[in-house]
Amino acid sequence: MKCFSRYLPYIFRPPNTILSSSCHTEADIISTVEFNHTGELLATGDKGGRVVIFQREQESKNQVHRRGEYNVYSTFQSHEPEFDYLKSLEIEEKINKIRWLPQQNAAYFLLSTNDKTVKLWKVSERDKRPEGYNLKDEEGRLRDPSTITTLRVPVLRPMDLMVEATPRRVFANAHTYHINSISVNSDYETYMSADDLRINLWNFEITNQSFNIVDIKPANMEELTEVITAAEFHPHHCNTFVYSSSKGTIRLCDMRTSALCDRHTKFFEEPEDPSNRSFFSEIISSISDVKFSHSGRYIMTRDYLTVKVWDLNMENRPIETYQVHDYLRSKLCSLYENDCIFDKFECVWNGSDSVIMTGSYNNFFRMFDRNTKRDVTLEASRENSKPRAILKPRKVCVGGKRRKDEISVDSLDFSKKILHTAWHPSENIIAVAATNNLYIFQDKVN
Amino acid sequence: MVGGLKRKHSDLEEEEEEKKWGWGPAGLRSYQQALLRISLDKVQHSLGPRAPSLRRHVLIHNTLQQLQAALHLTPAPTLTPEPLFLGEEDFSLSTTIGSILRELETSMDETEHPPNPVVPPGIQDDEALPQPDPVFLESLSSRYLGDTGLDDFFLDIDTSAVEREPVVTPPEPPHNLFCAPGSWEWNELDHIMEIILGS
Repeated sequence: MKCFSRYLPYIFRPPNTILSSSCHTEADIISTVEFNHTGELLATGDKGGRVVIFQREQESKNQVHRRGEYNVYSTFQSHEPEFDYLKSLEIEEKINKIRWLPQQNAAYFLLSTNDKTVKLWKVSERDKRPEGYNLKDEEGRLRDPSTITTLRVPVLRPMDLMVEATPRRVFANAHTYHINSISVNSDYETYMSADDLRINLWNFEITNQSFNIVDIKPANMEELTEVITAAEFHPHHCNTFVYSSSKGTIRLCDMRTSALCDRHTKFFEEPEDPSNRSFFSEIISSISDVKFSHSGRYIMTRDYLTVKVWDLNMENRPIETYQVHDYLRSKLCSLYENDCIFDKFECVWNGSDSVIMTGSYNNFFRMFDRNTKRDVTLEASRENSKPRAILKPRKVCVGGKRRKDEISVDSLDFSKKILHTAWHPSENIIAVAATNNLYIFQDKVN
Repeated sequence: MVGGLKRKHSDLEEEEEEKKWGWGPAGLRSYQQALLRISLDKVQHSLGPRAPSLRRHVLIHNTLQQLQAALHLTPAPTLTPEPLFLGEEDFSLSTTIGSILRELETSMDETEHPPNPVVPPGIQDDEALPQPDPVFLESLSSRYLGDTGLDDFFLDIDTSAVEREPVVTPPEPPHNLFCAPGSWEWNELDHIMEIILGS
């Protein structure tokens, strides 16, 4: 598969981070990555509540080699740490998700959320400044009206480009539990936010109320055995959405059926393989991410060891299952002990829905070609990624004689996890977040 | 991470894992008990200044229930506990799991009236923040440590591998998971809220 072997690495880091990964600050850990609908912009959110937006350079005939590099466009503090005094609990400022709105004018809009509050941000450019006010002097002080004898119209003069980010809406106080997902509806008027037990529907214009559309909280919390892990609207049908659970199930709901979508329209679940049953079966079946394909025909889910593709028309099993790192199956007890088994990996489609990508440990990430059934493991690391170099496929040795370039399972670094990745909507450009570093790889131009 | 062993086919690895604990029901029981211990440790140590992850709690809780069921079914090895004893242990375990989720509910939900409000003993009014142990830990400790026969349950586990330092209180000033209206903390918070709203 040609695109796998021909990626060029471009390494970008959020500002103010120390280059060595062994001494970064906790706040710099990237917690979400998202391209906008054209791929011109790439947003990252981090544990410190900051959002950094990169913009792709315009292609220029003079500098062919710098085709489409991403540079920092805007940086702003989206969320601050808060304290809930009534419950004596801290509310983390970590950005859990960013979702872009489609562009409708010169400004860009995105939603960013932490555990409790969703915010709508407007990112706009200012490259002109009005000058020549009649009523004020050059320092901005008002003139004595009696000294003004002529009318002068202010003139717009160019200034250095300034990118401003302003919070336009704050959607707060609607979630008791931690928000794990936000999704913009295809009607572009509403969006949903999902926490562990509830999903709310918002109108962008209204911040003081939202509609609860899913509620799985039991009357008696002791009976709680399942939580919502991810949710997403259908890309074209504004009445349809899906949500996944910690028990490995996906429910598709139609908002036209009733106001409260507690009864699903479709229920996707794969029967358990009895030969693989263990105490950890439920934990590893917990779905950490769910994504509709761009076509809207399929959904992809990520659980601890696999990525699955489901056809919306077939509920009883996925149509494709890809093993991400099956060599971890015999290590589940250790991974339970060190909490890695609870890591939430995301998964993404490429623009044509032909390739899917997800992260793993040791800064590895995996790509699966749905057509050729070929797969590849790549690594995001500074040692292996000099500019213009081609990424070399990596291999994990599970037993027997280890070849020269292979890495053994016991040597994997479980603190280096790639949880968040993004794929450009139309081109072969991917963004991979490795702890506090952001890697942007793109297909080599011949 | 498990290290040093040469990795073979995954079936064999499974057997090797079992070998560590010994063949047969005794080994399986030890494995289950060790998992139980790890799970309970996780629940205890998930307290902190931030609200715990509900997903993680639910998954650990479900695993605990499976372990409980499995231990109930697995025959005990040399020291056969009385059937009554097992019942007692079951009751304590499920009550503890229940109290874990109850505490979680009161810490995360809108309702502020927990079933067992506890006023921490002997704290001066002019202290800035409360310094008691979370009720959660208290309920665990009262049900586990010192209860009749429960120590016997863990007698056949070799705990040297999992022996830990005494539970370290969180570095941040520990907060109660809840406070009952009318308690001294409620008044304290009331006072704080007045200051905030007044400024």
